[in-house]
Amino acid sequence: MTVALARRDGHWCGVFRAMAGPCEVLLEVGREDEARPLVEAAAAETRRIEAKFSRYRDDNVIHAINSGQGRPVVVDDETAGLFDFAHRCHEVSGGRFDVTSGVLRRIWTFDGSDRVPSRRQAKALLPLVGWEKVTWDRPAITLPAGMEIDLGGLGKEYAVDRVATLLAERTRAAVLVNFGGDLRAVGRRRAGDAWRVGVEQATRDGSGRGLELAVGALATSGDARRFLLRQGVRYPHILNPRTGWPVMRAPRSVTVLGEICLEAGLLATLAMLEGERAEEFLAAQGVRHWVQR
Amino acid sequence: MAATDGGAGRYRQAGVRTAIVGACGLLGLGGSGAEATEVRTAILGYTEPDRVSAFEAIIDGNHQFSDGKIVNFRLVYDALTGASASGATPASYAQTFTRPSGEGSYVTAPGETPLDDTFRDTRVAVSGGLNLPLGRLSRLGFGLYGSGEHDYTSLGANFNLTRDLNQKNTTLALRGAFFHDSISPEGGRPVPLSPMRPAYTPKARLAGDGTKGVMDLGLGLTQVLDRKTVLHLNYTFSHVTDYQSDPYKILTVVDASGDPRGGTDPMGADAFLFESRPDARTKHVLFGRVARHLGEDVVQFSYRYFTDDWGIASHTLDLTYRWELGGGKYLKPHVRYYDQAGADFYRRYLVDGEALPEHASADYRLGDMHALTYGLTYGRPVGVGQELTVRLEYYAQMGESHPADAIGVLKDYDLFPTVDAFIVQVGYSFGLLE
Repeated sequence: MTVALARRDGHWCGVFRAMAGPCEVLLEVGREDEARPLVEAAAAETRRIEAKFSRYRDDNVIHAINSGQGRPVVVDDETAGLFDFAHRCHEVSGGRFDVTSGVLRRIWTFDGSDRVPSRRQAKALLPLVGWEKVTWDRPAITLPAGMEIDLGGLGKEYAVDRVATLLAERTRAAVLVNFGGDLRAVGRRRAGDAWRVGVEQATRDGSGRGLELAVGALATSGDARRFLLRQGVRYPHILNPRTGWPVMRAPRSVTVLGEICLEAGLLATLAMLEGERAEEFLAAQGVRHWVQR
Repeated sequence: MAATDGGAGRYRQAGVRTAIVGACGLLGLGGSGAEATEVRTAILGYTEPDRVSAFEAIIDGNHQFSDGKIVNFRLVYDALTGASASGATPASYAQTFTRPSGEGSYVTAPGETPLDDTFRDTRVAVSGGLNLPLGRLSRLGFGLYGSGEHDYTSLGANFNLTRDLNQKNTTLALRGAFFHDSISPEGGRPVPLSPMRPAYTPKARLAGDGTKGVMDLGLGLTQVLDRKTVLHLNYTFSHVTDYQSDPYKILTVVDASGDPRGGTDPMGADAFLFESRPDARTKHVLFGRVARHLGEDVVQFSYRYFTDDWGIASHTLDLTYRWELGGGKYLKPHVRYYDQAGADFYRRYLVDGEALPEHASADYRLGDMHALTYGLTYGRPVGVGQELTVRLEYYAQMGESHPADAIGVLKDYDLFPTVDAFIVQVGYSFGLLE
């Protein structure tokens, strides 16, 4: 368990690797012997979530469900909670948010190349996509054979919130959890000030914008580096599970400020799925947001 | 857009966020989820050389439940002894005053400021409250307060309502507090501006105990200005009704010589009159505070403006600097300046032959004055989640010692002796997390 700890500008900064990137925890505590166990607990919790919900493993609940071959699989409370959440998001997004859309990655690899699949290939996969085809009867989930669950669309945000909640239970100090730009702040900072976070601009110069976050969460959907380009047409990596095709006029990225990271992340993702109406959607939600086009 | 789902659920409505937040709530990720108890204790010694000494012990704590509810309690014990200025003027001869109880008397040497040395009291105050979230952005708190000392009881209730806006970078607060006090002084409540009588002689008394009602209403705004700066603004309106005189304070009626009228028998000549204050008072307080981080340190500046319809207006400037020494230790120097224009009815003394005003008080706390406080706090962790603090403070209050219009012998005396005080406080706090 490698955790690096450094003192910085009035707080301890702990860094560890998980979920395919650096994870950062900032703690406004005075002493290293207070900070270290907290960061270690954060790392352990993050790795637990990653191990439990990663679709790249063959020893976890996701694998058990995906290889269920049409048989019901009974899941634990935590997993059930996430499925309840996914179900609700599917419902309110009119089917645009769908944890079964992972199979579309078989034909879509957003590596900056021009390897765009055909419409026919996309259509052929659609029978394997759709949460409405899943029988979710808590605590049992039944996936038709060939379908897959992928919680990648909310796993990182969930981990951020879990870690923030866990740390809030162990310390009264202010904490900022930052997993690659998905972040959440809990606890009032001394003197009531805010954390300064950068909202990465999906622009060529990569210049960041500063934002003050006292308490709350920030999440970003979209990645300027992940797209396909063919005959001058840019195919962004955000896929509509109803068509199997990218949302063609989606923003480069959407960043949303919310109460908790899952909320911010979901709203950012749903805004991306709205395509050219992303701004309109965000305005209707009444959240502070940044849209890169 | 390539979507062809026919816009199921009219999903562009603002309800999406609400639904998602509700679903998040099911996961138990909202709120801090902390279940924690925090207890703070402090003992404080206060001494004004030759005057009042006080000892105070405070224990206060709060418990936060995982659903966001917070209960808090506070217990304060005060013990006061010593002497305080009665309001009478120094005289060129030894003066004899009746003790407030009416039983016995004390003597003040020539030229000395008369101090009533029967000042001894213990006070116990208890308060508690509950603060709960109302939805995700608001909190409602209410509490009860009670305090008792041998001649004064106070019962109160308060509420506060806060709302976060703008991603919690802005907080609005509405506060109210209501008190009902009962005053039953030793020897009863003297009739305002009635004369002090010799010991064991009944004085003119008001019937029954005095009561006092207080209503405070406040509005507050806390605004995060930037990563390092937070601003807090407050306005409080306060209305106080009924008995507000100090039953132990008197004024001297002097003659042309500057000594109390009546020569060798001032009490016989009604030279000492009990003070009289109006039975209504409206106060306004404006308060602003800015806190800013400078690297690890925090500097905090506040300004308070107070005005009331008694004619008092005061300005308070306060500056603290929290200097982080590393390892959780800190030093916090503190300086405060206070300047007060006194009440309209403040009189250092009354003059024989002049018409008696409706209200008059020689209580030095109502006079023109200024005060300076210098302090230093040292804090250090003494274990995980525990902190020890030591605070030292020196306070000096100055008024017009030699007013230009002083009469006769009063020119030679200090009519507003500097009151200085030393404060030592030791505090210990600890947190318990379940």
